[in-house]
Amino acid sequence: MGLVGLEVVLWRAVAVYRFVALGYAAVLMVNNYHSYTRPWLGWTVLAVMAVWSIVATYTYGRADLRGWPLLIADLLVTMGCLIASHWVVTEASLRRGSATLPMVWVAAVVAAWSFSGGRWRGVIAALFISGADLWLRGSVTMATVNATVLLLLTGFILGYVVSLALDAEEQLQRATKLEAATKERERLARGIHDSVLQVLAIISKRGAELGGEAAELGRLAGEQEVTLRALVSVAPPPTASGQADLRERLRPFASAQVQIASPATVVPLPAEVADELAAAVNSALDNVRVHGGPQTRAWVLLEDEGDSVTVTIRDNGPGFPNGRLAQAAQEGRLGVAQSIVGRLRDIGGSASVTSHDGTEVELRVPR
Amino acid sequence: MTTVIVVDDHPMWRDGVARDLAEAGYQVIAAVGEAAQAVRLGTSLKPEVMIVDLQLADGSGVEVIRGVLATHPQARILVLSASAEQQDVLEAVKAGALGYLVKSAGRDEFLEAVRRTAQGDAVFTAGLAGLVLGEYRRLAAAPATGSDAPRLTDRETEVLRLVAKGLSYKQIAERLVLSHRTVQNHVQNTLGKLQLHNRVELVRYAIEQGLDDSGRVE
Repeated sequence: MGLVGLEVVLWRAVAVYRFVALGYAAVLMVNNYHSYTRPWLGWTVLAVMAVWSIVATYTYGRADLRGWPLLIADLLVTMGCLIASHWVVTEASLRRGSATLPMVWVAAVVAAWSFSGGRWRGVIAALFISGADLWLRGSVTMATVNATVLLLLTGFILGYVVSLALDAEEQLQRATKLEAATKERERLARGIHDSVLQVLAIISKRGAELGGEAAELGRLAGEQEVTLRALVSVAPPPTASGQADLRERLRPFASAQVQIASPATVVPLPAEVADELAAAVNSALDNVRVHGGPQTRAWVLLEDEGDSVTVTIRDNGPGFPNGRLAQAAQEGRLGVAQSIVGRLRDIGGSASVTSHDGTEVELRVPR
Repeated sequence: MTTVIVVDDHPMWRDGVARDLAEAGYQVIAAVGEAAQAVRLGTSLKPEVMIVDLQLADGSGVEVIRGVLATHPQARILVLSASAEQQDVLEAVKAGALGYLVKSAGRDEFLEAVRRTAQGDAVFTAGLAGLVLGEYRRLAAAPATGSDAPRLTDRETEVLRLVAKGLSYKQIAERLVLSHRTVQNHVQNTLGKLQLHNRVELVRYAIEQGLDDSGRVE
């Protein structure tokens, strides 16, 4: 991927925040160190914060180091710097709500925890920091409550938004990959159309003309041609709204014995309905294979009438004389057809079986 | 002797088709693989029949059909394609091809289709009938063309559906108690109306775009 991933950008943002907050803490330090009980300790804490900001920027920048040891170390260093305020800032001013040594720098660890593991991790880090802050102040005031709530919210919201953004990024990546795969498939399909399929068609045609064993080879080549064509014809995935193109569902049934006729434009149906119809067509064609001879051919006609969709399966097998449906049923030749009728009824459609120049099964589903 | 041009970008296939045609008594005056060349030869040599593949190296067979028919409208064109690209097949037929046959069709079926094409008869496979049926329904449903869309008569629809279900003209004639010729005429009409509508649309488009001022509409 040539693009910088979202995660990299996020960790960079945390690093920038760390340094900005460090600068703020330094300004406060310069303004206030004369009022501190132990200024040297204050300068030391600031130095630790500076060093840790650099270390954290480097380590969080590397995905392989971004584990629990680093997260816990980050939390401990931050809490340490915060608690050290106890020996630097006077107790009275802390109780009044004065700034601690690291100030808003402590929020960086909350952001880091949120980014690494979502909102609840962010909340946990915020609880630790708030606990330390509370201990430091020794009493619950409006200011400490405010700080706690803000920190918790920061952890929660950052974690939530980041997981949303990461999900979105992943989906985009998946879509991009799918598109690339489809393009590649189309490229392959074009190549195969132009070469292999043509040669297979020639073999099948010449074989049939030569007769004998060559005819058998030709027949096999013809079958492979149909199979290969079905394989490389690009089937788009069902759309987001759960609609499927019935033509794509029926296309795999095409073979040397089965011809499919359909409109040139998509025939959209809810995916479940399309699946049920395809299954019904499959059992109808199975029925043809079982009861017709090897020479029996079948035609599948798909019609989109706007308010309904009709699929007709006709074969040129022996059929059965009209008016003798009952006998055909007894012989088990209608068993499958009757199961098809039931299947269609389940999806709100209807099916009929007639015999006239072979057997015809008509499936109709309203939209 | 009927003159034929074969257009196919696969040399092995092209030669095979040309040989079959020559053996069956046709005069193959050219066998070419490129769309531009096919249009040039088709318009200059004016063959009676053209056998056109839809997938050509430098373009689509549909362009060949349009290009040739624009200056040599008497050409009778049969599409012979391995491609199952249904939209292309439909476009080819709307552009004026008389029929469509898959390349996997047997030699006898192919020669019979060429014979009928040479006579000016439509060559309808079940697959093509399904496409044409679908196109009429699409045109009727499309809001832009809804009112002046070409329509099939009930009888034409009936015949076309039977063709799409794989019945032969003979079987259809028996079932509907019609003559073989009448069935053939119905099928031919469905194609004719579609092609006429296509031409009207093209002219209308040309007028809208102001192309008629040049005095030539293609």
